[in-house]
Amino acid sequence: MTGISRRTFLRGTAATAALAAAAGSLSFGAWQAEQAHAAGDAVEEAPSLCNGCSSKCGLVATTVGGRLWTLRGSDVHPYAKGHICGRGHGLAQMAYSDERLTSPMRRTESGEFEPISWDDAFAEIGQKVKEIIAANGPESLAIIQDPRPSGKYYSKRFMNALGSPNVYAHSSSCNLSKESAYTYTIGASNYSTDFGNAKMVMFIGRSYGDGIRPSSVASLAAAAEAGTRIVSVDPRLNNSGIFSDDWVPINPGTDLAFLMAMCNVLIEEDLYDHEFVEQNTVGFEEFAAQAKECTPAWAETITDVPAERIEELARAMAAAAPAASIEAGWRAVIGCAYKNSFDTARAATAVNALLGCWGQKGGALLTSSPKAGKLDDARFDDPPKPEAKAIGAKEYPLALASAGTNVAALEAALDGRLKGMFFYNSNAAKGYAQPKAWTEALGKLDLVVTIDVQMSETALQSDYVLPECTYLERLELPEWIGGKKHFVGMRTRVLEPIHPETKACDEIFNGLAEACGVGEYFQFTAEELAAAQLKTVGVDIETIKKEGTVELADPKFAYGTPTFKTASGKFEFKTDAVGEAGLNPVIGYVERKVTPKVGEFYIVGGKQGIHSHTMTQNIAALNAISRQYNMERLWMSAKDAESLGIADGDTVELSSSEHTGTVAVRVTQRMKPGVLFLPTHYGGDSPYQTRAYQYGVALTDFIPFDAEPGVGSMMSQEVAVTVTKVEA
Amino acid sequence: MARYGMLINTKKCVGCYACRIACQMKNHLEPTEAFIRYEERETGEYPSVYSEIIPLQCQHCEDAPCAAVCPTHATYITDSGVVLVDENKCIGCKYCMAACPYGARIVREETGVVEKCRFCWEDGKPGDPPACVGTCISGARVFGDLDDPASEVSKAIAEYNAQPIAGDLTKSKIFYVR
Repeated sequence: MTGISRRTFLRGTAATAALAAAAGSLSFGAWQAEQAHAAGDAVEEAPSLCNGCSSKCGLVATTVGGRLWTLRGSDVHPYAKGHICGRGHGLAQMAYSDERLTSPMRRTESGEFEPISWDDAFAEIGQKVKEIIAANGPESLAIIQDPRPSGKYYSKRFMNALGSPNVYAHSSSCNLSKESAYTYTIGASNYSTDFGNAKMVMFIGRSYGDGIRPSSVASLAAAAEAGTRIVSVDPRLNNSGIFSDDWVPINPGTDLAFLMAMCNVLIEEDLYDHEFVEQNTVGFEEFAAQAKECTPAWAETITDVPAERIEELARAMAAAAPAASIEAGWRAVIGCAYKNSFDTARAATAVNALLGCWGQKGGALLTSSPKAGKLDDARFDDPPKPEAKAIGAKEYPLALASAGTNVAALEAALDGRLKGMFFYNSNAAKGYAQPKAWTEALGKLDLVVTIDVQMSETALQSDYVLPECTYLERLELPEWIGGKKHFVGMRTRVLEPIHPETKACDEIFNGLAEACGVGEYFQFTAEELAAAQLKTVGVDIETIKKEGTVELADPKFAYGTPTFKTASGKFEFKTDAVGEAGLNPVIGYVERKVTPKVGEFYIVGGKQGIHSHTMTQNIAALNAISRQYNMERLWMSAKDAESLGIADGDTVELSSSEHTGTVAVRVTQRMKPGVLFLPTHYGGDSPYQTRAYQYGVALTDFIPFDAEPGVGSMMSQEVAVTVTKVEA
Repeated sequence: MARYGMLINTKKCVGCYACRIACQMKNHLEPTEAFIRYEERETGEYPSVYSEIIPLQCQHCEDAPCAAVCPTHATYITDSGVVLVDENKCIGCKYCMAACPYGARIVREETGVVEKCRFCWEDGKPGDPPACVGTCISGARVFGDLDDPASEVSKAIAEYNAQPIAGDLTKSKIFYVR
């Protein structure tokens, strides 16, 4: 970290010489305590919620003299359970980064940025927003945000106050297909695996060891140790492979054929739970008719998974049922990667339905979530709901309404329906759909405003960049955490602001709202709203400022068939709304869009445990790990490497229809031949982030701009690529 | 007197690097300085392949080659078996780096002192637990008194039949499950 190395800490104090001499006989810790004492520096603790990923784990930060020293996981928080992962430790150090945004910036006509005052930034943005509304109506404004406790609240409130319904999450490049699909089949956007009681769990493309939530890794490790059969269906032996009994390498984007064939075996061999299917589902007969065609032999030709293996896995799952399930997944194959991601996600829940494992011990669980009660104070009343429907609601009717699809916003910016866009904690222009499309779109808009802590690629293409303080420097609204037990957590101000010209989320939106003429809806601070929300569940804000995460009233989770909050109130093998959107109303087979020809490769992306997309790339401690271990490399199977004459560490040219880049190769036995793996967060384009700049290549650059039908996900892996060795 | 040691279970390590960074923060290391490094091994051929990540750091050897070669006795072993470096005696000769079979020592950028894992030693005792153990998300690390058969680490070593990474080469006190 760029922080207090021992000597820099010493250098700044008057007592340096004497203390350094005296330190000879002291242990490091004793020295540190003495040093802290000498400088009058108190060692203090304060809680927060990590900002490293959407898990937002509870943590406790220790500071020395007001400066961050260490982090530890909250013992209470259900995702941390006392532990914080690598990227969590790394992200905290962003506070002291030498490449943070420290003042509001305005882009000049020459394309350079110049610092301006907050007053001027707010006034100029306010003026432009008013002009856009006068000329094109409030529906020509939109905001995109990667959900954070305050950010998701303020983004929506700000847009709605202006009269615009156009509020989008990052989801179309994450888990939109999954969350939308599950909402139709099981009436919830997610579910959990009862690892403690499971006999068999199958992962479809997801890896807890790469997209890390500490408690999930611990649960998986414990289950593996207890003898639960863990199956990983993935073209790459991922970092959770140490827990897997079975690795099922599969052709990317063909998981739907594999899952339909599993259903085929369960139905044709009469291994499914008749009672559950008869009492709790709709559309089974039509589904069974479609599954009948999807034999294991047929699936083998598509997936490259042997028919006997599909049969064995299906039979084993049936034998272990109801303590067997398909795990819920998150991104990629069921989240946003392919033309069939939505149906792949639906099919995963269909397997669980046939196994009769919904709500059962050891199976797949639907749990509840807490929320704040109604607030008395009129200041917190919602602004009037905009009359217009959000852009994209018509084109992509299956997208989960609370997330929307930002691909639709991108399309609207390109065709002129949108005139102004705001981005909060979102690097859409690099991390979402095709960056070239975003660059074209942002160039067409009359106003682009980005709120971030660093000069992201999106910020770099904005008219105004507003610097937020880092998460450890700000209090945020409470975060409500559901599950078998209920919790609420909150960020508190662990560090005093490091750069005086940065502001917290609520201060920024309050300022923007005032300047845009809708300040009447923003007459409170995040702390005031937080206190009011917490009061409705009987938690005092002073308590949560001390404890960070608090357990709420026991929701009294019980095993048993859950209530499916679908249109029919049952598990849906068939959904009319899906048919009305132009898709097969019944869960069935859909091909992926792009299949590589001879000489081309499939390419899949994925997280590495130390990084969260582009956000963490420039953090010195994390970038140092990537560079030390050459983590930016493109993975290629040893068999493919041999046939192309490529050795480990060689540089290759990677090409798609959209982009060509050069990258080093990691030759490995852990890839299915014919498939490449690229960690998805490298290849930065912002020269303001010198550590991340042009280090590695970014998968998003290679992906054609398109959208999954009905849902609007970005289809993040619908591409074929070629690889050519670059001769030294 | 306790005799401190650790167990590292590679069958639970997903390579999240939390231990490296928690250690850096606790011990005020620079981003490029680390007391923990990682070896990644693949065995077998596709599709019958096994992959493991092996975190390596000072093994706190009872026959510590680094201490034996240190010309100024800057490297020493406490009564509880923890190998430490007195930075005021270190002259930066790097003999210890050459002698260490585990590649566990680094030169601190700011001080020139050759340092390494010290089990987060402070106030005359190791960290409770050391930062790497406290943050480990999967319970792959266990720390404690090797001489106490009832300690968590002793029980885990027995249960898994954990072994030093290089056999009895240096009588090291970090035991690996692989």
